Amino acid sequence: MAFLFRRLAFYLAAFLAAATINFFLPRLMPGDPIQLMFSSAGAELPPESLEALKLTFGFVDGPLWKQYLTYLGSIFTGDLGRSIKYFPLPVTSVLGHALIWTLVLMGTATVISFILGTWLGVMAAWKRGSRFDVIVSVTSIFATSVPAVVTSLIVLFVFGFTLDWFPNGYAADPSLDPAFTLQYIASVAYHGVLPMVTLCTVLIGGFTVTMRNNMINLLGEDYIVMARAKGLSDRRVMLWYAARNALLPTVSSLAIAIGTILGGSLVTEVVFNYPGLGNVLYQAILARDYPVIQGQLLIMTATMLVANFIVDVSYVLLDPRLKAA
Amino acid sequence: MKTLLRNRKALVGLAIIATIAILAIAAPLLTEYNPAARTGRPHQAPSMDHILGTTRIGQDVFARVLYGARTSLMVGFGAGLLITLVGTVLGIVAGYRGGKTDEVISFFTNMVLVVPNLPLLLVLAAFIGQASPVVIALILGATSWAWGARVTRAETLSVKQKDFVKSAEMMGERQWRIMAFEIFPNVISIVGINFIGSVIFAIITQATLEFLGLGDPRAISWGNMLFAAQKASALSVGAWWEILTPCFALAFLGIGMSLLNFAVDEIANPRLRTGNRLGRWSLLVRNGEGRL
Repeated sequence: MAFLFRRLAFYLAAFLAAATINFFLPRLMPGDPIQLMFSSAGAELPPESLEALKLTFGFVDGPLWKQYLTYLGSIFTGDLGRSIKYFPLPVTSVLGHALIWTLVLMGTATVISFILGTWLGVMAAWKRGSRFDVIVSVTSIFATSVPAVVTSLIVLFVFGFTLDWFPNGYAADPSLDPAFTLQYIASVAYHGVLPMVTLCTVLIGGFTVTMRNNMINLLGEDYIVMARAKGLSDRRVMLWYAARNALLPTVSSLAIAIGTILGGSLVTEVVFNYPGLGNVLYQAILARDYPVIQGQLLIMTATMLVANFIVDVSYVLLDPRLKAA
Repeated sequence: MKTLLRNRKALVGLAIIATIAILAIAAPLLTEYNPAARTGRPHQAPSMDHILGTTRIGQDVFARVLYGARTSLMVGFGAGLLITLVGTVLGIVAGYRGGKTDEVISFFTNMVLVVPNLPLLLVLAAFIGQASPVVIALILGATSWAWGARVTRAETLSVKQKDFVKSAEMMGERQWRIMAFEIFPNVISIVGINFIGSVIFAIITQATLEFLGLGDPRAISWGNMLFAAQKASALSVGAWWEILTPCFALAFLGIGMSLLNFAVDEIANPRLRTGNRLGRWSLLVRNGEGRL
């Protein structure tokens, strides 16, 4: 328990760091920070909204620490300001809506590729040096080393444009009303295939290689030799002695990978015009909508911290030594 | 270095990178076109005049991809060097000094690791506005050192316990000398892996930032080519050459770098070499905690 509390305190500090970057960045840039942040608003924003927006971002009269506290105050009360591009929608609702799509896409892709990649890694390590291992390893290397942008564009070109098997954009048929109907869910699944395939392609190789390398390191350990000497079946040694222990570092590498997964999913969404965070962010960048750009850092950091915490908890469950500590 | 050249993955990887580097250097000899100028009609399919076609505003795609390789390689290696430098120095200092220094550095390292990198870079680049390749390399160096610092620190912790470090301490060597001449040469394999990994990361991230429209659009680079092509809806109008050319260039470079990465990994960690016998493993020193 103490372990988890320590982690929680650390995550709070990390979130504070992200907020601090947001606060100081516009103030460090040359020129007037208010001008910089809200110049894209132009005449679209009514003056009182602009005043409210300035207040949210800590542009109040007074010393810097007072401005900083004002900004932190608005963040911790859940006020991230209003989007300039999607005025008058608040940033939280613009990003919150998009976050659901991203989490569904990213979550499903992560689970699929984690299970599949880990399994491939276990098999490749067990049959190391075999043709299966060579094919799996080389394919993994290729798949992980190609940037997500490139994978997305190639998948879109081949399956979306050339073969025309799947739609080229959007999360669902725009003519359907979002509802829990079979038709709508089927449309979402159909539209999700290409981004999902892309993300899995980007992710799976990393899991495979990590698991394979962990497994191979463990296969030299004495207790594996012992398990074989006892005459246990290959399957039992592979899964319950080697794979179970190799999974531990893989889970912790998953925590670090979540940032990369987020990044990959952003890019994929832009290419497939998927209504997730990536796309909202892309539009915000083009429109210089700074409240949204800043808000995404906070929301992404929060998402990443929650994901890390889930990994921490599962780590405690997987490794009994941590429970005792 | 010799072992590196005997590894097949390393050889193929090096060959790919060398090919791209030579093409980038020889760009003016290979094409007569100015990569920034309009040299033809818009969106022309590949032909004898324009081997890889033209962009929407009539620039030669082949010339752009050749000159763009220069940017990608320079940002990749420049930022990679910067990331590795910061990570190695912080890692060795934290690992060797221990105590308060280690606590502070490790705390910051872990913090940077949990703040997602791409969103952070997006915020930085958005405020800087139209970041040139050099600026992108600098902000990559400033934000992406944490992983390297972490693994270098772990490696330093195990090297620190070795007798030759103890004896150097007994002889009263200065701390910086021990770190630079006793520790550093012995963590060089981790530094190498970190460097190659950072170069890959920098190349991919630069392309991603530019693809998202955060780069300086005047710079000739693969990321900007993708951005321009996407903005011109190159796929929808059937101008596949405009988008697939930088795609394949990036994929090719990525694969080359990764092959090298895995080869160095295998050499540094001989257990990963396939076809080994159990007997050879037992000769190896058991890996300590925190080893990758």
